[in-house]
Amino acid sequence: MSADLFILGVMACGGMLYAVLGGADFGGGVWELTAARRASVEERTLIRRAIGPVWEANHVWLIFVIVVLWSAFPPAFAGLTQALWVPLFLALAGIVFRGVAFAFRGHVAGHTRQEALWGRVFALASTAAPFFLGAAVGAVASGLEVDASGTFSGDILTGWLSPMAVFGAFFAVAVCAFLASAYLTREAAAAGDVALTDRWRRRALLTGALVGVLATGGIALVTVDAPEVWDGMRERAWPLIIVMVTSNLLSLWGLWRRRWNLAAVGAAGTVAAIMWGWALAQYPLLVPSQLTVDAAKAPDTVLTIMAWGVVAGLVLLVPALVLLFSLFKTQRSLEEAER
Amino acid sequence: MPVTPLTMVAAVESGELLAARSQMAFTLGFHIIFACLGVGLPVVMLVAERMFLRTGDESWRQLARRWSRAFAVLFAVGAVSGTVVSFEMGLLWPGFMGTFGSVIGLPFTLEGFAFFLEAIFLGIYLYGWERLSPRAHWWSGMPIVVAGVASAWFVVTANAWMNHPQGFTLVDGRVVDVSPVRAMLNPATWSQTTHMIVAAYMVTGFLVAAVYAGAALRGGNSTYVRRAMALGIVMGAAFAPIQVVVGDWSARVVANSQPVKFAAMEGIVVTEAGAALRIGPFAIPGGASLLLHGDCHAVIPGLDAVPESERPPDAIVHAGFLVMVGIGFGLLFIALWSGWSWWRHRRLPEHRAYWWALVAAGPAAVLALEAGWVVTEVGRQPWIAQGVMRTIDAVTSAPGVSWVFVAVVGVYAVLATSTVVVLRILAKRPIEAEEKADVG
Repeated sequence: MSADLFILGVMACGGMLYAVLGGADFGGGVWELTAARRASVEERTLIRRAIGPVWEANHVWLIFVIVVLWSAFPPAFAGLTQALWVPLFLALAGIVFRGVAFAFRGHVAGHTRQEALWGRVFALASTAAPFFLGAAVGAVASGLEVDASGTFSGDILTGWLSPMAVFGAFFAVAVCAFLASAYLTREAAAAGDVALTDRWRRRALLTGALVGVLATGGIALVTVDAPEVWDGMRERAWPLIIVMVTSNLLSLWGLWRRRWNLAAVGAAGTVAAIMWGWALAQYPLLVPSQLTVDAAKAPDTVLTIMAWGVVAGLVLLVPALVLLFSLFKTQRSLEEAER
Repeated sequence: MPVTPLTMVAAVESGELLAARSQMAFTLGFHIIFACLGVGLPVVMLVAERMFLRTGDESWRQLARRWSRAFAVLFAVGAVSGTVVSFEMGLLWPGFMGTFGSVIGLPFTLEGFAFFLEAIFLGIYLYGWERLSPRAHWWSGMPIVVAGVASAWFVVTANAWMNHPQGFTLVDGRVVDVSPVRAMLNPATWSQTTHMIVAAYMVTGFLVAAVYAGAALRGGNSTYVRRAMALGIVMGAAFAPIQVVVGDWSARVVANSQPVKFAAMEGIVVTEAGAALRIGPFAIPGGASLLLHGDCHAVIPGLDAVPESERPPDAIVHAGFLVMVGIGFGLLFIALWSGWSWWRHRRLPEHRAYWWALVAAGPAAVLALEAGWVVTEVGRQPWIAQGVMRTIDAVTSAPGVSWVFVAVVGVYAVLATSTVVVLRILAKRPIEAEEKADVG
């Protein structure tokens, strides 16, 4: 495998993990903004406990993807930040306030006004971040006026707006809400809270179905608004549509039959298939419709050294991640936490 | 890159460039404080926890727990403000990143992994008090210390590269023959990374000491306060003398690879043999030449060695340098004062004057950090990569950067204020309440 393919694969994995893990952290806030706004203390405690140990690590996947993008495909990074600066700045604002609001809220316990304030900020920012990141992804899929050298020539304020961008924004929020509710159902069940489990189960069923419907509509939109991606989808990414639909149905079935691990894995699989489907369908374009991987990639020497750097980094990273999730997210650790 | 009259005119007239530079300086200047605490605080935290493990004394454990909570807040602010900076590299400087992203990408990629390990073990450390054995819990903090130093090192190598670009050839605006390792290990790397990491420990040490010296001044002179203060002082005092040596090393490297920046730092306008050392209104004849070359008649290039269009705003650089060095020596004085008292009396001074000095030393250390940052960044202007690319050619063409800058300042003001508010709430909470609040 050539170094640039390896690095693209790593980036797609990073993006997938950010969506599957970080997306669920955002989803907790989306729920606090909507249905769980007048949530009970137990409900918010569940969200806080679920997010607490892992959100910082999950957030790093975004930085990782950004850094690898600019190192391996510099003109793509330059072009994308130019074309997408409006949604990216807004997403950044969301990311900043989500992070600090979560940390702040956890440490002002007892100060009712402060707690309420940061709770609201957390909910709002957790929704804004995926909304604008989703818009950015949608904008990329539908194509941007970025040429082969990474120069953006479109309108600086509105050049990113497209039907796909609007769809991406809402779809991302729905996906986050789905992931969060599917995971939280499992965690509520492990904690032995029947009422809470039922509430999250209902929410997961609802948003799971919603994501399925939206995804189908999204594919229809792709045929119209993202022709290059649609070509790639027909050519090579179509099996992932099957994976996505199957995972989505498995997840719903798992929720229905109260098989929580299956439901969580199915939800994760749905989102993973979407991310990989997008990546595969768009290849070899980094920024449709002009900037290709070949045009944007850094010299081969750089890519080879980076690939080795990534391998060395993963040797340290993977065991650490396994440790983190086995301490806080396995069935046993969730049950033990309750005792 | 040829200097055309056009770029010079653009450089003078571009308010957008100034806005972009201000925004970068402002957000990085904000982030650098939290990044330093991210490097330094885990050390004091782990020393306190280690002392608890060794002595079984609860007050050490309370210290470690309290600091770990403050660290959680500070790390979050550091992580998100660092995310902003990583996006800004492209949002504000697409010309630079598009051209050189691949050259300096390796350290950033490795830094990504270091940051990953920090975040992972922070989660384990913060939420693992009840889940891990005391010994395992202590060890779970070690990767935070190591990865903190590693990420500081990697990030600063990229900045060192901007001061001494190498490891590539520029052909028609595209880089070829790139050697990321040679780029990372450039001549400015070793002194600059050491200078930064030592600064991080100093800033943390003196800030911690300042917080508890403030408590002592208000009459709180418990074992808890004295131990906390002592830990901060030990850290700050241990690194203050080291920093004098490292700073001198750093200045020599600058004199070699960026003579114009050095001239601006020292306020040397005219190239001359026997350049004077200028400190405010005073000038020691031949001093700069003597310090740099061990010969008071050696020639040192002044600002006039390059055309005006290649000179940094020297007044700012000179002032920044004086502030940094001045405060550095002030901190060294406090270190000596503390060391003397310990040597003579086996305890730290307990005068109010000493505590006041410490209260001032915390913010002063931060000021020195910022001043040093200004020296290295403003001193490199008008280049974003010394001698290779001008800042004006790197900046975004997006309009409205000034407005974004205003918005960013507003957002960060809110961020800074609320961080202080939350930390104060944390500090005021009775220590006994700490244990209960840790779950969740």
